[in-house]
Order: sequence, then structure tokens, then C-alpha cells
Amino acid sequence: MMRKKETGRHPASVCTKIGLAACFLLGLIFVFFGFRGQNQVADASLGNDDSYNAIYTLSKDVNAAWETASADLASFTEEERNSLDETVLSLLKANWENTRAGAGEDAAAFTAGNRAAAWKLMTVSGLVNGPKVSASLRKKITALPADSKTDFRRQLLSCLNDENAQQPAQAEQALEGLTGDERRAMVMQLYITALGDEKQQVTEHVRDLKKSVRNKDSMLTAFEMVVRGETSWLWQFIVSNSKTVILFGVLLILDVILLALLMASEKQWILNIKWVVILLIVDFLLVFLVLPVFYMIYRGLFPNGSFSLETIRRLFSYSLNLDALKNTLIAAFATMVLGTMIAFPLAWLVGRTNLYGRKFFRSLFVMTYMVPPYVGAMAWLRLLNPNAGIINQWLRALFGLSGPGPLNIYTLPGMIWVLTTFYYPYAFITISRAMEKMDPSLEEAGRISGASPLKTVFTITLPMMMPSLIGGALLVFIAAASCYGIPSIIGAQGNVNTITTRIVEYVSLGQDSLNDAIGLAGFLMIVALIILFVSDGVLARKQYITVSGKSVQPAMVDLRKGRLPLTLLVAFFAVVVVVIPFTVILTTSFKADLGKSVFDPANFTTSNWVSVFTMTETISSMKNSLIFAAVTATVGLLVACVMGWLLQRTQVRGRSIPNFLITLGSGTPSVVIALGLIMTMRGNFGINIYNTAWILIVAYLIKYMMMGMRTVVSAMSQIHVSLEESSQIAGAGWGRTMLKITGPLILPSIAAGWFLIFIPSFYELSMTALLYSSTTKTIGYQLYEFWSYTSQPMSCALAFGILLIVILLNFLLNRLTKGNFSI
Amino acid sequence: MSTVTIKNVTKSFGSNVVLSEFNETFGDGEFVTLLGPSGCGKTTMLRIIAGFEKPTAGEVYIGDQLVSGGNTFVPPEKRGIGMVFQSYAVWPHMNVFENVAYPLQIQKQPKEKIWEAVGKVLETVHLSQYAERLPNQLSGGQQQRVALARALVAEPRLLLLDEPLSNLDAKLRESMRFEIKEIQQRTGITVVYVTHDQTEAMAMSDRIFLINRGVVQQCGTPQDIYNRPANQFVADFLGKVDFFKGEVRDGRIVFPVMGGQSLPYDGERTGKVEAAIRPENIFFAENGPLSGVMETVYYLGDVCDCRVRVGEALVRVITGGWQEESLRKGQPVRLQVRDFMVFPDDGLLEQMLTIQT
Repeated sequence: MMRKKETGRHPASVCTKIGLAACFLLGLIFVFFGFRGQNQVADASLGNDDSYNAIYTLSKDVNAAWETASADLASFTEEERNSLDETVLSLLKANWENTRAGAGEDAAAFTAGNRAAAWKLMTVSGLVNGPKVSASLRKKITALPADSKTDFRRQLLSCLNDENAQQPAQAEQALEGLTGDERRAMVMQLYITALGDEKQQVTEHVRDLKKSVRNKDSMLTAFEMVVRGETSWLWQFIVSNSKTVILFGVLLILDVILLALLMASEKQWILNIKWVVILLIVDFLLVFLVLPVFYMIYRGLFPNGSFSLETIRRLFSYSLNLDALKNTLIAAFATMVLGTMIAFPLAWLVGRTNLYGRKFFRSLFVMTYMVPPYVGAMAWLRLLNPNAGIINQWLRALFGLSGPGPLNIYTLPGMIWVLTTFYYPYAFITISRAMEKMDPSLEEAGRISGASPLKTVFTITLPMMMPSLIGGALLVFIAAASCYGIPSIIGAQGNVNTITTRIVEYVSLGQDSLNDAIGLAGFLMIVALIILFVSDGVLARKQYITVSGKSVQPAMVDLRKGRLPLTLLVAFFAVVVVVIPFTVILTTSFKADLGKSVFDPANFTTSNWVSVFTMTETISSMKNSLIFAAVTATVGLLVACVMGWLLQRTQVRGRSIPNFLITLGSGTPSVVIALGLIMTMRGNFGINIYNTAWILIVAYLIKYMMMGMRTVVSAMSQIHVSLEESSQIAGAGWGRTMLKITGPLILPSIAAGWFLIFIPSFYELSMTALLYSSTTKTIGYQLYEFWSYTSQPMSCALAFGILLIVILLNFLLNRLTKGNFSI
Repeated sequence: MSTVTIKNVTKSFGSNVVLSEFNETFGDGEFVTLLGPSGCGKTTMLRIIAGFEKPTAGEVYIGDQLVSGGNTFVPPEKRGIGMVFQSYAVWPHMNVFENVAYPLQIQKQPKEKIWEAVGKVLETVHLSQYAERLPNQLSGGQQQRVALARALVAEPRLLLLDEPLSNLDAKLRESMRFEIKEIQQRTGITVVYVTHDQTEAMAMSDRIFLINRGVVQQCGTPQDIYNRPANQFVADFLGKVDFFKGEVRDGRIVFPVMGGQSLPYDGERTGKVEAAIRPENIFFAENGPLSGVMETVYYLGDVCDCRVRVGEALVRVITGGWQEESLRKGQPVRLQVRDFMVFPDDGLLEQMLTIQT
């Protein structure tokens, strides 16, 4: 007791306490001045300087700007308007062509008799989106007053000429120098681009516009005050970055509180450098995970600033939402049951019996875990399309049926089938890892007690695998429920909506429908949290530790007469879920006409490959993907290594906090992360990375960091501490030990961890679909666009290209880890 | 209860022969130990008897029934054997009672009979009060006894034990050793016991099979193989021994390494030989035939472990602890040899002593 009291009075501890208090105070100061600065911005907008005020007001609401643009259009002469309409029309026409190309396969399957009808149908459906846009446009045009034209032009100009727009005075000057026609042309140009490229690009353009306006927003205010001579550079900085200052202050206060709690619980008021590292990681996750999720929940419960259950009510009363909920739950549940039912016998056959080629099958099934699911969706679409699907054609020929059908991929069962073939590896890997760890003599004890091999499986193996089995099943459930690629490709065409496709749809519709998106995302988040709690909390504690000390070659169950038939069955399964889909992708990529066979020499072409891989879009998005994934993997792995060391090699208090947050992040469904980031990272909380590459990288990090962390942690746990201690005894310092002993030993795992983050980030689609901008498109999204808007053979070529890259990386990963990575 | 007959059993994994031409009959109610260094093939033999491995050639009979060999293979569950594994293999998802009752449940015995039999066998292994516990609430020794109870409950004709004591601490190992032996004597069951611990083997076995590199080096009672080892490997593996090369000349063995000193010998070997002397068979005597200088003395309490320099050779002598006060380093001593073994010097010693794994 005495000694503890003495440490409390130690001079160092007094210094620490003073330091903590000072930091706390600093945080408070930041928050205080941040808020004052923000008020200043608000005040400035109410100032009487008309020109600045007008700009500010305009920039406040882009929707208003948008409507003003429509007004501008209304002032056009008949002639001008005609030419505009013509341009728009021609652009729309170009899109019909695309739609038609995409629908070509359907049409090709029709008999000559109803082909004409089919074409008509296609054309009409292709038209639907176009007229909608122009109709709403016309409505806006007629409804608007035209008095703010000049201001709008000025605004537009400052948006367009970025370098000149730094200061409004300059912008104005530039505007003065333009002739009337030039100005008009500029407006038109902007307008036509915005309109012509369909909804997708309109949204995109509005995003870009919003972004540039927001950037200027605070800058203008600060500039204004400098001009008025009422402020110092510091104040100017605070004013223009008020929200960031507040955020920084709040984080500082939180850190100080956390640090004080840690020190108090250690009863040692000395700053441990490890805590600083922990706090940095925690801060990152607080800002990019906790804040978005909490803000989303807040927005869900307080849609308009006051408490309301409207969001929740909409979730169940609006049939589109309710359908999406039902579909998601049914699909995820069915996928879970089916996937686990496939995975367990497969894991047992491959891991515990003398099946022929078990090592080969094992790597094959593990490999599919890393294949982008939307590629599978594309393949199954080609196979099971009710009209042109290859399998359907065979079945019709075989049984003399007439089309369409008999199988239809555009249904809920169709979606469940594709989800199952792509998510059963989650269960397979979890279960087979547990099986490999199980002491084989546990099963042998069953045999010697008189139980047959099958009886042993059901009374010994299965009950012992139960925790892993449930864990794997839950993984499949949450992966299927938060998948976007498969439902968007399969479900959308069959009007099978899921939570994820609805969310992406709502977000692209804009602010008004955000509440529905939040409601759905919140629902998904709750499901995910329950699963996370069960699998990481409850199940982890029930896990039987069955690793034996003795390293015996596990005895294989002799399948005897069943050996060949069971091998054939497994091979058949492998052919169905791996070989056929990938072959279809490959053959489609060489087809000139989708409806004809690839073996028809006239139909064989490499032009799809050539054209897709020479397109600037492909090249730039490929570059984006590689860079983003590499940055994500490198940063993520750095954190993973730090965490691995903290968790496995130190006893420092509080090390479980970042561990918990990282686990939470990976358990959070992708769309929820993306939606949360959209809502909080557009400058409203002091960080504006919206529409930049950073928002993608942050999202990938939150989602995939844990893959790296788990790998490094498990690698470090396998290296006994005595290896490091003996190095230290031999005279090496900590750094040298890490470099010479620990480093080389865990290097394969570090490389594996890097790939485990890199691969999913490389082909990610669910989050990218919400977070991309025109300059940050990734390869996954590019493929999705090609598939939806351009030709199928071309997208198949790209898909197979992605597949090759992923398989290559997978191969490296398997070599590094011998197939033993955890998920 | 049953005999086990093994006829010419050979087992190889690829080109690696782990067991060659094993030929033996284990008698009814006999406690047989397969002893040898790790990797010698003893566990493989046990697993062949259990039915977890198939012999590459040869036949195994339990009683009169052919269980492995030719086209016949009886799977482990049909052999009516009890087995205790090195890792105990107590199922973690079942409590002690369920673990032990499992073999009877497989046989579809009536409930009352299971209750009775499990109660009895748990009594035997002193675990009656732990029936409701889960394995992770038991100590290593208790888990060990659960495994033993499970192996015994169905009254098998044969009990196989695969290094069952190697994961226990020294004290527990010693007490379990006698418990197992006692149970075996009470039930009269045939036991095949695998271990690499010679003390265990000596204490429990009726017969020991000493195996090295897949070949049985010697089989016999503990006394047989300790006192009359068939070759240098057996002599070396059991107990402590020093080898000295020498030559038989005029009823004596002359040791060049001891500077030409010699010991009297009246056996039938001639020419170059190797004498194996166990340190407990040498003692200090005023008129002993060997003279040397005391080099080191280690006091171990019950005994003194000494090394005496005789010529160039270093001879190990184990003598009573009470003599410690009279033993001085550097002091000249004379040694008497009570007993020693003589092997022909065929140059195979070094090769034999290298334990191959």
C-alpha cells in the first residue's frame, strides 16, 4: 500500500497529470473556438455585402443551383432549345443501342415469329429511363423564375474554372471578359453533359458540383474577412476549418479521458508509448467507423432533428422495403443452410478421409473464397437465363420442352443458388480449419469403442465441430445478407430486391430517399451486430480446444467402397461450382455473337479482349484498383502488425479496445459502412474526403483490416515467446530481435495478410458502388457498368482478366500459408 | 480374454519400412510391453492390432479370429478392443459418465445395465464422484483415468495402451503405473502397452519386446532382457552401461584403452570383444583387478556417481551415497567388477546405438 501511494506522488506522475490536464484544456479550447468560428461563418452569410452574400446563398444549396440552371434553359430561344433536344436525343439513342446490345442474347433465343415483338419490347424498356429524365426537366423549366441568372452563371463559372475560381473577384473578372454567346455556350455545355449521360452521370455530376461548392464555401468566408481586415491568419484558419477544429478538439478530449482511465486502472501515472499507438488506431476507428454508424442511427431515429419512428415505420409499411427485408432474410437464411450442408460433408471428406485428390480439392474450394461473387453471378446468368441460358437450352432440347425456362435465374431461388455457390467456402474454411486442429485420436477412440465411421461422424465429430459449424454458418449468413454484386446482377432484372440493392438505389436517388436507406441499413446493422455477438462472444468461448501435443499424421477414414463414388461426387460438385461458371465466362469472352456457339469459327473473336483492355476506362480503373488496394493493404498490414504485437506480446491495458473496434468494423455490412461514410465524410463533421480515393481506401480498411490482423496475430501466437527471449538473452535488443527473429518467422504470414487485404479490396463492389466518383472508379465497378450498360462478351473478357489476377494472387497466398489462412 | 497372434507383419510407408517381419503371440492375460525409442515402429504395431493401420504384409489374429491379413480386414469398431490414447482422447463435449457409457450405448445395452457397468468401472478408477464433470474440469490424471474407464467398460478381450502416461507428471506417472497394473491383474485382461520409458516397462510387464528400427531386438521377461541382453543395443537401451573394446587372451580380457589392464573371463567368446559393464556392478575394493584415479564424484543423495580414469578410459562407478566422505578427487583407487557382459566386436555397435527416427 505504502509503495503505491509513493508512486502516486512521484514527480513524473505529477508531470503526467499536468500534461493530461493541459491536453484536456487544449481540447476544450479547440472545441470552443471551433464553434465560435462556425458561428462566424453563419454570421458572415448574413452580412450585407450583396455579391458575397449571393454567392454564399447560392452555394449553400446546390439543388437551388440546379433548378436555376433549368430556369436558364427556359430562357433559351426555340432554336437553341431544339438543338439542345437534338443532342440529348442523340445521346439517349446511343444508350438504346447499348441496351439493345445487352438484350441481344434474349432476342437471339426467340423464334423468328416473335422476334419482332421482342425487339419492340426491348426498345420500349430501353426508352423508359430516358423520357423520365427529360419530362422532369421540362417541368422544372416551366416552373422557375429567371431572376438569379447572372449569379448562377458566376457560380457556374467559379465551379468550372477551378484555378481561376479561387477568389470570387477573379471569377467575376473572368466572367466579365466573356461574350454573351460564350457564356450561354458554357451553360449549355454543362447542361448537356449533365443530362445526356443518363441518370448515373447526372448524379455524378451533381456530386462533383457539390464538392467544389463546399470547398469554396468556407474559403470564401475566410477570404471575405481578410478583405475586411478584421482577422488574423490564425482566426482565418479556424474559421475556414471550424468543423475540423471541433472534431480535433473532441478527439483530444476523448483521448485524454481514455488515457486517464487507463492510467488510473494501472495506478501508474506514467505515459506508456504503447497507449499512444493504441489511441491513434482507436481515433481512426472512432472517426471512420463509430461516428458514421452512430450518426446513421441518430439520423434514423431523428430524421428531421426531432425524434420520430417514421424511418422504422417506412421499413415495414412500404412494400418495396418490406419485400427487400423479406428477400434478404430468406436468401441469407437459405444460403446459410444450404452452404453449411454442403460445407460440412465436404470439409469432412477432404480433411478426414482417403478421398482421391483431397489436397487438390481443398485448395480448389479454398480458392473460390477469393473469387469476386459478381463474376459468378454473370456466369450463372449466362447459364440459367430463362431464354438463352445454356443449361436451359440443353434441358429444352433434352426433354422437348418449349421455352422460356424450365429454369429461371431471375428469381429468389436462382439468387440463393448463386449465393450458395459463392459463399459456402466461408463455412468450408472455418469447419475444415477446426477439423484439422481436432485431435484424430478423438475419432479413433469412437471407432475403438465400437462406433462405425458414420456413427463416429455423427456422435463425435459433428457435436465437437458444432461451435465452428455455427460460426461458419453465421459467416455465410452475414456475407449473403450484405452481398451487393449478386443481387444487383441477378435480382434487379427479376425484380428481386434486397436490402443492399435498395440502399444503393435510394442513395443514388438523393437526399429525400436517404431515410429509407438508413432504415434498411440500420436493420442490416442490427442483424450483423447480433451475429457478431454470438460468433465472437458466445461461440468463441464454447470452442473446444482439441489440439493434441503429439503431431501424428491424422489417420484417414477409409471410405473403402465409397471412395470412388464419393470422389466422383465431390468432383461433380467442383465442376458445377467452379469449372462450369469459369468456362462460361471464358467462352463468352470470345464470342462475337452471344447467340451462337464459340466453336463456330465465324463467331470466334479476340476483339472483346482487345477492345476492353485497351479502353481508357478499363486501364484507368485498373490502375485505381491496384493503387487503392495496395495502399489499403499496406496501411492495414501496418496496423495489423502493431496490433499483433500489442495483443500477443504485451500486457498493456486497453489493447483490446482497438481489437474490438477492428472486429466490429469487419462485421459491419459493407453497405452500412459506405452509407455511414457518405453521410459523415462530406465536410459536415470537419472531414471532407467525399468523392476522393481516400473515402474508398478508408472503407476498405474498415472492412478488411481484420483479415490481416487475424493472420498476423495467429502467426505471432504460434511463435513461442521463448524464441524472442532467447534472442534477448543472447544480447539482441528489441528492434534487432524483431528484425532477426520474429520478422523472418512471421514474414510468410505478413505477406499472406497483405494479400488477404489486397485481394478483396481489389475487386470490391458493394462499397465502391456507393462511394466511387467519376475519377475513382475501380475495376469491380467498371465491370459492373460494362455488364449493365455495354456488351456481355466484353464484360466477360474483363471478368476473366480479373479472375486471372485474383487466381494468381490466390496461388501466391496459398503458397505462403499452405492454405491455412483464417477468415 | 484373448491371445494376439502376429504373423510376419510388415508395414512400410512407401519405401520406408517401419516394421519388418513381426512374429509373435501374446498370451491370454499377459501384460506385454512394446518398448523402444521414438520412431521405432512400436506405435505402428499397436495401431495395426487396433485396426487403424493395415499391415503391408502378414496377418494378425485376435483369439482365433483373423482380423488383418490377406483380403480380410475387420474395422476397429468390430474388433472388441479397448484402447487408451496418448492424448487421452476424452471427448470434450460429453461429461465423464457419457464418455464412459459411450461404448455400451453403441452396443445398445439397456439403460440399467449401462448405469451399473459405468458405476462399477468409475469405482475401479476412483472417479465415482466426478461422473457429472466435463473433461475440461478434470486434471490430466483424472482425464487419463476416464480414458482408461472408457476402454475397460465394455469388458474388451484386449486392452491397448499407447504411451498413456507420457503426459503426466512424475509422481502421478508412478502411481498410475501401479494402478494400471493392479486393474490388469484384477481383470485378467490381455494388455499391449507401448512406451519409450524403460522403468515403466520394467515395472509393469510380463514380457517386454524391445524394438529398434522396426525390428524386435529381444523379447523376454524384464529380468531376461536386463541381465541377458541379446545385443549391445538392448544392453545400452535398458539401464546404464559402458562399453570397452578388448581382446580375450589366456582366460582374461585385455583392454588396450585401460593401458593393458585386464579382467578375468571364462566365457566362450574369443578374439576381439566388447565388454559392457553396468556402473552398479563395479565397486571399490582394495585388491580389485583394475587400478585408476578418481576423476569426479557427484553426490546424488542415495548414490554417488563417480568416474574413474583407468588408463585412457573413463569408467563410471555407482556406489552407495554413504561412501561419499571417503571418496576424494585425484585419489588412486582399485576397482572390482562383480559382473559384466561380453559381446563380439563386430563393429556394429556405433551403428546400432544411433537411434534412428
